[in-house]
Amino acid sequence: MVPPISVPRKPLKLIDRVSAINWNRLEDEKDLEVWDRLTGNFWLPEKVPVSNDIPSWQRLSEAEHTLTMRVFTGLTLLDTIQGTVGAVSLIPDALTPHEEAVYTNIAFMESVHAKSYSSIFSTLCSTKEIDAAFSWSEENEFLQKKAQIVLDYYEGDNPYKRKVASTLLESFLFYSGFYLPMYFSAHAKLTNTADVIRLIIRDEAVHGYYIGYKYQKGLEQLTQPERDSMQDYTYDLLNELYDNEEQYTTSLYSEVGLVEDVEKFLRYNANKALMNLGYPALFPAEATDVNPAILAALSPNADENHDFFSGSGSSYVMGKAVETDDDDWDF
Amino acid sequence: MSEPTAYDPAHDYHALNAMLNLYDKNGKIQFDKDKQAEREYVTGEIAKRTITFPSTKERLNYLIENKYYEPEVFAQYSDEFLDRFYQHLEDKHFEFDTFLGAFKFYTSYALKTFDGKNYLEDFPQRAGAVALELASGDEKMALTVADAIINGSFQPATPTFLNLARAQRGEPVSCFLVRIEDNMESIARAINAALQLSKRGGGVALLLSNLRELGAPIKHIENQSSGVVPVMKLLEDSFSYANQLGARQGAGAVYLSAHHPDIMRFLDTKRENADEKIRIKSLSLGVVIPDITFELAKNHEKMALFSPYDVERVYGKPFADISVNDHYREMVADDRIRKTYIDAREFFMTLAEIQFESGYPYIVFEDTVNRANPIEGRIAMSNLCSEILQVQEPSSFNTDLTYSHVGRDISCNLGSLNIAKAMDAGLADTVRTAIRSLTAVSEHTSIDSVPSIRRANEEGHAIGLGQMNLHGFLAREGMMYGSPEALDFTNLYFMTVAYNAYKASHELAVERGKAFALFKTSAYAKPAGQGNYFDKYTDGTLTLEPQTQKVREVFEKFHVSLPTKQDWAELRDEILKDGIYNQNLQAVPPTGSISYINHSTSSIHPIVSKIEIRKEGKVGRVYYPAAYMTNDNLEYYADAYEIGWKAIIDTYAAATPHVDQGLSLTLFFPSTATTRDLNKAQIYAWRKGIKTLYYIRLRQQALSGTEVQGCVSCTL
Repeated sequence: MVPPISVPRKPLKLIDRVSAINWNRLEDEKDLEVWDRLTGNFWLPEKVPVSNDIPSWQRLSEAEHTLTMRVFTGLTLLDTIQGTVGAVSLIPDALTPHEEAVYTNIAFMESVHAKSYSSIFSTLCSTKEIDAAFSWSEENEFLQKKAQIVLDYYEGDNPYKRKVASTLLESFLFYSGFYLPMYFSAHAKLTNTADVIRLIIRDEAVHGYYIGYKYQKGLEQLTQPERDSMQDYTYDLLNELYDNEEQYTTSLYSEVGLVEDVEKFLRYNANKALMNLGYPALFPAEATDVNPAILAALSPNADENHDFFSGSGSSYVMGKAVETDDDDWDF
Repeated sequence: MSEPTAYDPAHDYHALNAMLNLYDKNGKIQFDKDKQAEREYVTGEIAKRTITFPSTKERLNYLIENKYYEPEVFAQYSDEFLDRFYQHLEDKHFEFDTFLGAFKFYTSYALKTFDGKNYLEDFPQRAGAVALELASGDEKMALTVADAIINGSFQPATPTFLNLARAQRGEPVSCFLVRIEDNMESIARAINAALQLSKRGGGVALLLSNLRELGAPIKHIENQSSGVVPVMKLLEDSFSYANQLGARQGAGAVYLSAHHPDIMRFLDTKRENADEKIRIKSLSLGVVIPDITFELAKNHEKMALFSPYDVERVYGKPFADISVNDHYREMVADDRIRKTYIDAREFFMTLAEIQFESGYPYIVFEDTVNRANPIEGRIAMSNLCSEILQVQEPSSFNTDLTYSHVGRDISCNLGSLNIAKAMDAGLADTVRTAIRSLTAVSEHTSIDSVPSIRRANEEGHAIGLGQMNLHGFLAREGMMYGSPEALDFTNLYFMTVAYNAYKASHELAVERGKAFALFKTSAYAKPAGQGNYFDKYTDGTLTLEPQTQKVREVFEKFHVSLPTKQDWAELRDEILKDGIYNQNLQAVPPTGSISYINHSTSSIHPIVSKIEIRKEGKVGRVYYPAAYMTNDNLEYYADAYEIGWKAIIDTYAAATPHVDQGLSLTLFFPSTATTRDLNKAQIYAWRKGIKTLYYIRLRQQALSGTEVQGCVSCTL
């Protein structure tokens, strides 16, 4: 029996006092906009018929099986960190009570994401295979290293560094894993699993954007030298993570010959993360010419025209109920 | 990934295809990249994996001897003809317009070796084999049908196009509809039908309205029945079992009356947070709504739900055979019928909420449908795509599940015209070819596993001629979808199709020497001016002439003559004399797969996006350009979300009076819409005389700041 993944950490003091949250008095309109978007996007993995992917799963090679499970355990680990530590650790630094509420939603959805990988596993693989993949994730030094780097910042005492680490996680670190299901889906493999991932990407895109936005808001309260040092810190951290990510990618994808393509994708998303934080791109455009099949699949717009008979799609949202009035029924 | 370390995006046809969804440096859509992807795919991988033969004779011999092709189909023709026939098809030098067209054809339709590794057919050869079976030895018809398919004017529906002439095959029929009566034998038979018909590849819809509700008595003991939800679970599992190969998973639908006591539980099965025990994932849902429900909502009245168990005992007929609209007040006043009440407006709001979360349910406007129905009997349900609307008759069973009375259930084989290509060809002949092809499918079909379907097909030869590429045609001719010209065209086009379809069916009745079995009691047989189906064409109810100069010119340009009042009167009299061969003739399906192969826009809908992102189990995520679109005519390609629901409903309302069955109508909303917007659209559709509503589709734009730059489908 493999022990569950758990991370030793200090108890976190969330806030000193509580005042009732009044959504009718907004200090930042963005909080409500993002709250509405996130709650509208609520979903649970049970809605996607992943079991329709079983025939496709069975046609994949042994190497592809191993790769898929490793990628997903890696993502599970990151989502676990983000759900139980990352998003929660941002609450004490929130500038508005509404921002706190948004973080609670982010934290919860990250846990939903972590659980949805388990749903995929339990549908497609045997317990033995799952256990093997989890123990791989605990022993992979690059994966553990990136978890450690991010965790250290979450537990440190600089609120700005926490946000930078969080944005890099949401907008950059996840994507070495997201590459694979997008690649599969473009080649008609595991398309329902890809639907789950696309729902996750839909969420992460908003999370990274929002945390980055709050970071930029926060920077406004700093002096110029402080801002400069944050910028230096961000690029240093990104470089450190990028070097590690390259090695992680090699450890995953070398067997199937996709390393180079994944790396372009990493650089593309690294630039995207910097953009969310309000910084110029690090990598030149020619180093980020991502495989168009992946790039086109990445759009968080829910606009694909799916075939209802083979999947549930990733475009449905919770409806906004509004009563009809007498004018509507005037006929 | 089958060849590790050899992956190269530059020669990956998927990557080339995906470039269609990314603007080039000058902000132009890269149509050429998609065509390159098609060539790369067809001349590369496909050519490499296609088995070729020195002659047609050797090819056919191989395919017949190895049990790929049905020998009887080819034995009807001489070797000399077959040689000439296949040469003629090859000389057309067919190429697919789009990557998705080619990819879809080779993944889903082309005949493959049993190990799945090699291809044995290209598109003209598939079309040829289909035409040879449809023509049953008639050389001229074989050539006409094959030409129509390859030129793209007529495209048979997937089951026909996929299965004909093959030795190992499913049924060539698209759709089945089966009633369920309120007894265990009928439920068991329904599950059998779901298994048997899915095995053969058709979509199956079942009617739940007659089943007694949760808590109804069984053998007079109260609170015994479990209602409709457990039956839905059984059906859902049956569908996924019978289709394990994933050809068309979960292709089943169930319909329930809005006034059935289980209606809210039925809808809740599609809730995002429904309990696993009652959650329905892959079964499609439809609700049958009578006019009275709208009246009740208008008057802010409570809406009564009636126990089907009691209704059947009081009226001596199953619930679905009673018009709720006509008997509503009577049933409310009748104490023998148990009732529960819900708020009518809340019902509509819940309906819309569920549609947001899942796209379901479909809606059948019961009274609109029955008023327009020319055949004696009641229409109580529709099918998996909500375009089939035909009468049924209940069956009854012995305890060993044999039939004590074989009723009538529904099968429908479909095929669609490409409006642009059919107009190019002058329309009338294409309609005739299509009606004859569809009738041939009906005549070649005998669904022995469900005798009620076999009986109705033998008696009625019902078919469903559909249409596609309306938006493509309008754009090509410089008309905006939903504009007055477009509505004018739609009305007259469908009228002309109807005229030629009835004419072709009359011709068949004369040739075969018989009309469909229910002809004598149908509205087609009523005297002129006394409820005859064609009265609307002769008494001034419908407009028979172009209302705009543009449309007059369009019909003239393609030499399509519009039937006059006089033409209709003559046809009506001929039909009164000889009848028509087909009980039902037209039904406009949503046309998914076949419109990709044919490079049409789907059905008579607007496009969903200039570059459509198509996701399916078998093809993955692929990008598809709208028909006839170039970088210079983009203004005619507003998408369904921009066009809005009103223009779509108006377009369907223009076509509806000319279609004896239904038309699948999907409504499109931005995710910022509310349930009230959906309700408004439903009320409008009902008032405009729309018969059924299919899916609700939503499009959510990425939060500004999170979008992917330079992506065609992402920009408004």
